[in-house]
Amino acid sequence: MEGTTYKVNRLKTTNEIRPLVDKHWADLRTAKERGELVAWASGPTFIFAYAMGMKCHFMAGYASYCGGIGAGEEVLKVAEMAGDLPESCSYHRLHMGMAEAVKRDIEINPQALLPLPDLMVAGRLCTEMSYYAEGLYRRMGVPVLPIEFPMIFEKEDIPRLREFMYRQFTEIVIPEFERVCGKPFDYDRMSEILSVLKKVATLRNECWEFFKDIPARWTLWDYGVSIAPVFYLMGNPKGITYYEKLLKELQERRENNIPAIAPDGENYRLYWDSWLPWAFLGKFMRKFTPHGAVCLCGRYPWEFFPHPELIDPEHPVETWTDLYFGQQSHLCYNFSPKGAIDSIGELIEEYSLDGMVMFSSKTCRLWNVSQMEVLDALEKKYGIPGVVIEGDMIDSAMISDSQIETRLEALFELIDSRRT
Amino acid sequence: MENALARIVGIATDPYSYVTQLKEERNSKVIGCFPMHIPEEIIHAADLLPVVIWRGDEPVTWGHSHVRPYNCGILRSFVDDAVKGKLSFMDGMVFHIRQCLPAQEPPLIMERNLKLEYKKILYMPPVYPGEAIRDFLVEDLKSFQQSLEDYTGKKIGDDKLRESIEVYNRNRDLMERVYAIRREKPDVLKASLLMKIVFAGMVMPKEDHNVLLSEIIEGMEATRGEIGKGKLKVVPVGCLCQTPPFEVLDMIEDLGMIMPDDDLFVGSRYFANKVDHNGSPIEGLADRYLSKVPVCATKGIWDVHWGDEVIKKVKEVEAKGVISVLAKFCPPHTCYYPDFKNKLVEEGVPEVLIQVEHEMISLEGIKTRLQSFAESIGGV
Amino acid sequence: MAIVVGVDIGSLATKTVVLGPGKEILAYDILRSGHNYQQASQESINNALSSAGFKREDVSYILSTGYGRGVATLSSLADAEVTEITCHAKGAERLFSDVRTIIDIGGQDSKVIGIDEKGDVTNFVMNDKCAAGTGRFLEVMASALSVDIGGMGDLIMSSSGKVDVSSMCTVFAESEVISLFAKGHKKADIAAGIADSIARRITGLVGQVGLKEKVTMSGGVAKNRGVVHAIEERIGTSLVVSEEPQIVGALGAAIIAANRTKDL
Repeated sequence: MEGTTYKVNRLKTTNEIRPLVDKHWADLRTAKERGELVAWASGPTFIFAYAMGMKCHFMAGYASYCGGIGAGEEVLKVAEMAGDLPESCSYHRLHMGMAEAVKRDIEINPQALLPLPDLMVAGRLCTEMSYYAEGLYRRMGVPVLPIEFPMIFEKEDIPRLREFMYRQFTEIVIPEFERVCGKPFDYDRMSEILSVLKKVATLRNECWEFFKDIPARWTLWDYGVSIAPVFYLMGNPKGITYYEKLLKELQERRENNIPAIAPDGENYRLYWDSWLPWAFLGKFMRKFTPHGAVCLCGRYPWEFFPHPELIDPEHPVETWTDLYFGQQSHLCYNFSPKGAIDSIGELIEEYSLDGMVMFSSKTCRLWNVSQMEVLDALEKKYGIPGVVIEGDMIDSAMISDSQIETRLEALFELIDSRRT
Repeated sequence: MENALARIVGIATDPYSYVTQLKEERNSKVIGCFPMHIPEEIIHAADLLPVVIWRGDEPVTWGHSHVRPYNCGILRSFVDDAVKGKLSFMDGMVFHIRQCLPAQEPPLIMERNLKLEYKKILYMPPVYPGEAIRDFLVEDLKSFQQSLEDYTGKKIGDDKLRESIEVYNRNRDLMERVYAIRREKPDVLKASLLMKIVFAGMVMPKEDHNVLLSEIIEGMEATRGEIGKGKLKVVPVGCLCQTPPFEVLDMIEDLGMIMPDDDLFVGSRYFANKVDHNGSPIEGLADRYLSKVPVCATKGIWDVHWGDEVIKKVKEVEAKGVISVLAKFCPPHTCYYPDFKNKLVEEGVPEVLIQVEHEMISLEGIKTRLQSFAESIGGV
Repeated sequence: MAIVVGVDIGSLATKTVVLGPGKEILAYDILRSGHNYQQASQESINNALSSAGFKREDVSYILSTGYGRGVATLSSLADAEVTEITCHAKGAERLFSDVRTIIDIGGQDSKVIGIDEKGDVTNFVMNDKCAAGTGRFLEVMASALSVDIGGMGDLIMSSSGKVDVSSMCTVFAESEVISLFAKGHKKADIAAGIADSIARRITGLVGQVGLKEKVTMSGGVAKNRGVVHAIEERIGTSLVVSEEPQIVGALGAAIIAANRTKDL
């Protein structure tokens, strides 16, 4: 409200994620020294590497990690020096920059340097994920295991897409891992990973309930930094401990009526579309908080196993296929723009939202497919306003602060005007 | 030949009127295909009129409220044409959503803004190893065929499909002949006119195009021509699924360069590789798509280097250099470009990059690039 | 006696160089192009010739270059035109024979040129049609900061900590600069941020051509110590800049003109 000074009540538990994440990347950096095999992965394929005991890099995870340690800009610069064009996907450039730094011995933040892989599992969820693997193959000669990972556009296509994915996993992915690792595929380990994931995602879903509180008990950015345990830290039992603690802290907040936004809770409850801007979480948070605005949910952060009840650790490969391409899968519909209208609509109702922020990443349209149509349809259906803000996940040159601030302020004014 | 060329230029200049009129004359339905890889033969076999969607001739206005500015020009222009009602002659559309990111945008936009009788999403996968890929592609094309049969209420037998493939293969033969003559005497046809010939073929029934091509070939054979003395041979290369702006092609020639061949979709790539229809015709269509050469950056081919293939072409026609034509915000080309360029640098083939957009505000910068390139390969 | 003239008609300034029979520089001239390129080029050529003590009829060959090069050939003022890319290469090679990379920031565009030991262009890139990283960008920013363009260099050098100006786009950067100013940042620090924004853009172009030392910078912006310094920091090597970096293109044009008269 007018005259109120809003600030974020920080969670204690989220401080515990950094050591877990740092350890993951540190282990990856030193894997070769210990004689371990290293994989790089894009698309949901890294679980196969984990099952085989390989250390594994994950494309978007690396981007969020680089953002977190503040290395994004210098790595992107190396890519640009190597001739990569600024309009190309910034994840693509980030990886090319890192690889070029290794190849040309260019000094960058040592924490951002990774060992080149024994196998690159190139899941082509978006087409860019193929380009990045192709580029690394051509520039560095790394061995590639390419996997097509289409998004479902029409429900009727599910059976043949599921069959196709299952065949790729069983006929291509698993045999190739067996060949590279020189041992049979470890289905038991994959089952264990899925058991842990199921527990973590179940706990995480309980935490999601606290977004529904009015006032909300935590923010989307808090969840953003907590995402690794349902993502590239999957299978790590410390993820269970982390989410148990987080759940406990949120319960305490509810009991003591402590809101995410001090002093008395938020003024605007918002939906956030598309990627989280990994390198700028703090910067963006500071654009919302002074207005008492808080982002509570988003399509992308809700993609990480929202239905843990569907995970069947006894049938690891089948369940992994079904999580993405099963009849009951809730994931991929969200990719297809038509499905987005339904899934965002559900979020708007469940989380009592006032407005929508459609973050549009200039170098990646994966989460922005037909975004303006989606926004238009939602505004008409739910009567809440939204704005498109343009930026990027990690490339600061793509962001105009003053333009974003103006649009956000306009959104808040729109929400106000509909209240009176 | 002059009449045939005039007809070509007319169609290329105003494809909207041409297709509208054609639809009336034939009393048939028009199915728009998002470029580049949709097998039109199946639509042809369903007795429908396939047309490859083109970049329009107007600056984007209403389209801006449906698609972000940092999408490629063909997508923005196509969406703009659609929401302005300029594509109302289209009864159906086919999208290949796995081609590139921009290709995923239009299905919902079209669904919400056009009244289409028929819409089909294709998932044609990249050219990755493994039987699963080929089997899925064949299934995808079969489902395409099935959807067309459902739409028309008529079965498409294998023989019918083979007949259509034969028409298309004939077209590919004729186009190859046009290119072969022009490689010998490139001054017989301006490059922009050559590309109009290819483009017109994308919106015309192939039977009609074949008739025009036969006339043009006869004319070309009868015309004396030679490689202009003092002209610098260059090869335009790109991944753009539209023609390069014609004025840029003319500019290249005005600056003393000549293009005896190309590696462009609206160019030599469109008619490369014939379909083998001796076995299952659907599998023949799938196998044509799966061929790795000519390399297309959208197809996930990494064991054949695009640069190597272009260098082969450069050597064949004894060209002095390569002009890369990049449509701004074309992700596959943008990501491939550094590797392509590095390969040419390694092999000592001069290359220059021209970025084109739907709204070409200034050609002056492009002219300076091209002129400098001509000066550097030709010696000042 | 065979003297030759190179005239570089840029979007902001027109430059002329007069070379003597031994290709020595006899005189040069720089003036603002204004709206009439033809008039500007005539005037600049006349100025340069008169300071060299020659008349038009003494000139055996005039070669034009730059954004307005076509105007001079169309009006038959010049005998031929060559692009500024080729001319900058020839001019830079004459001034610094061991230079392999040229950064030229002009009013309309910026470019990076790779050259070999003969001064022949091996490859080059130009920025796209937007004004990011050009002389025009610097002018707009100077006016947004209400400082004189000539004073920008010293202002940048006096900064103790640059502010991050992330936008490359002139329109966005202008509003960003205004809002930074409103937030109370020092002019010098914002100016340093602007210089760095140009430097980042240029670094990208250098990357595409491939950094080969030595590197020279030409064009009017090379007179701005602050921008030169910012580029040096970004690309990690020092730049050699001639006493009059604005005439490098015109010098190259005159050298090509002299070579052509030999062939006549």
